[in-house]
Amino acid sequence: MRTSSFGYLVKEGARSLWVNRLMSTAAVGVLAACLILVGAAGLFAANVSSIVSYFEDENEIVVFLEDGIDQKGVDDASLKIRMMDNISEASFVSNEQALQEQMDKYGEYAWLLEEYQGEENMLPHAFRVKVKDLVKLEETAEALLDMSEVQEVRVPTEVAHTLLGIRSIVSWCGFIIVLILLTVSLIIIANTIKITVFNRRKEISIMKYVGATDSFIKLPFVVEGLLLGLLSALLAYMVVWGGYVYVMEWAGTVDSAWLQELYQYFIPFEQVFKEVLISFCAIGVGVGSFGSMVFVGKYLKV
Amino acid sequence: MIEFNNVSKRYENGTKALENVSLNIDRGEFVFIVGSSGAGKSTLIKLMLREEKPTSGIVHVNGFNLNKIKRRQIPKFRRTLGVVFQDFRLIPYMTAYDNVAFALRVTNVSLRDIRRRVPYVLGLVGLASKARIVPEKLSGGEQQRVALARALVNNPDLIIADEPTGNIDPELSFEIVELLHEINKMGTTIVMVTHEHELVSHFNHRVITIENGTVVSDTPEYQEEAGYL
Ligand SMILES: Nc1ncnc2c1ncn2[C@@H]1O[C@H](COP(=O)(O)OP(=O)(O)O)[C@@H](O)[C@H]1O
Ligand SMILES: [Mg+2]
Repeated sequence: MRTSSFGYLVKEGARSLWVNRLMSTAAVGVLAACLILVGAAGLFAANVSSIVSYFEDENEIVVFLEDGIDQKGVDDASLKIRMMDNISEASFVSNEQALQEQMDKYGEYAWLLEEYQGEENMLPHAFRVKVKDLVKLEETAEALLDMSEVQEVRVPTEVAHTLLGIRSIVSWCGFIIVLILLTVSLIIIANTIKITVFNRRKEISIMKYVGATDSFIKLPFVVEGLLLGLLSALLAYMVVWGGYVYVMEWAGTVDSAWLQELYQYFIPFEQVFKEVLISFCAIGVGVGSFGSMVFVGKYLKV
Repeated sequence: MIEFNNVSKRYENGTKALENVSLNIDRGEFVFIVGSSGAGKSTLIKLMLREEKPTSGIVHVNGFNLNKIKRRQIPKFRRTLGVVFQDFRLIPYMTAYDNVAFALRVTNVSLRDIRRRVPYVLGLVGLASKARIVPEKLSGGEQQRVALARALVNNPDLIIADEPTGNIDPELSFEIVELLHEINKMGTTIVMVTHEHELVSHFNHRVITIENGTVVSDTPEYQEEAGYL
């Protein structure tokens, strides 16, 4: 492409934005609003996920070994457990450690347990196991129970179900929100382009008569859509940035014990600003240029 | 250069605009196409430009078979000719210069060629001094000359004009046709639709008359019978 033509294309796209500035502003406003909602949904989901994964980490299966198992049995069990797919961490807790923990919990009444120390310890040896994927929790628990060295497995099934439920609700809601907003954005782009095509029908017809190619005729519209998308993305980014920082500050000052407990697992904006900016620009530019490319063909019939 | 072979055109609503039109226009000719309103003149022009497709028959223009031409090739075809319309079709916010340059800018012509060609054709139509003026500050005749400059700027072999004088004062109409006449002398083929009889009789050129969608007469340029006196 020649520089004179390229200059023309960019100028035309930008000029069209300016000539239709009222409509462009409305379009940018709606697109930015969509992006803000998408961003808010995404950040909310990310925070929920961060909190859930904290609870996931807290969730462990306790694997009790058979009574009176010998050192070789423990070693075998340890090896088998560590070989399993879904296990991220496994730590051995001897019956002595377990008793000690119990005694620590009893505090000043710890002496009640003193007589069970040493030879008298009735507690089994155990492993504390963390799973990688909570979805496969029960499967993993069954596999553990199937081992000959294991007598019992304690699984935090209910907590797991709750966490999984929260996560899937959040991600489904997020997905539906994104879908609706993408549709809204495409409709906005389609309308903007439709009006621009109408406003520029004279130029378009002249271009056809003097032999401009279809793609050349379409390009200014694509440039316009792209610019609309980019402007919306930048606007949305600033709003999300400000809004997120504000909400975080507010959450930090609220006088609520559980919120303070969760606060430490919130994601600071510095940690995600790049992802937010990149995905906003990608969505904005993508929806803008793709939308105008599709719809300009429909309205132009060049 | 232009060849119509048994061409008929029926619009989607059933209107029969042309029926069995056959005609041949050679390189370098100047042809008037006349006929009353609704006779089918503009339809003939639209078929020449491949704005419409014939219902039956074959159309050849500038070496392109317009029945078989692919969509992708249409821009290339259109660059071989220039078009002028009754309503000028200038872009209101652009100066005369930019209106002419527009035709080159949108067809990927280099800046150097634009700077060379545009002033040249504006000079040709006598508007060199009005290059920086927007259409609404120009008279009808001047606007049509800008449009003519735009049609000429890519140096086409063929100029097609559909009632170019329809919106212009009669005195100025002669100027436009005079200009087309000069351009024709330089070798460009001209096809001009009009229903102004004074214009046609004033210039000695071939006249094709269309009525009710058919060619009713085709009178060649009157040849001086020299050498008998
Ligand atoms: N796009 C169209 N759709 C339907 N009928 C049309 C269309 N264009 C022209 N016509 C009809 O075709 C006939 C010829 O029109 P046209 O070629 O414009 O005549 P002229 O230019 O000689 O006045 C007229 O009856 C007109 O109404
Ligand atoms: Mg007509």
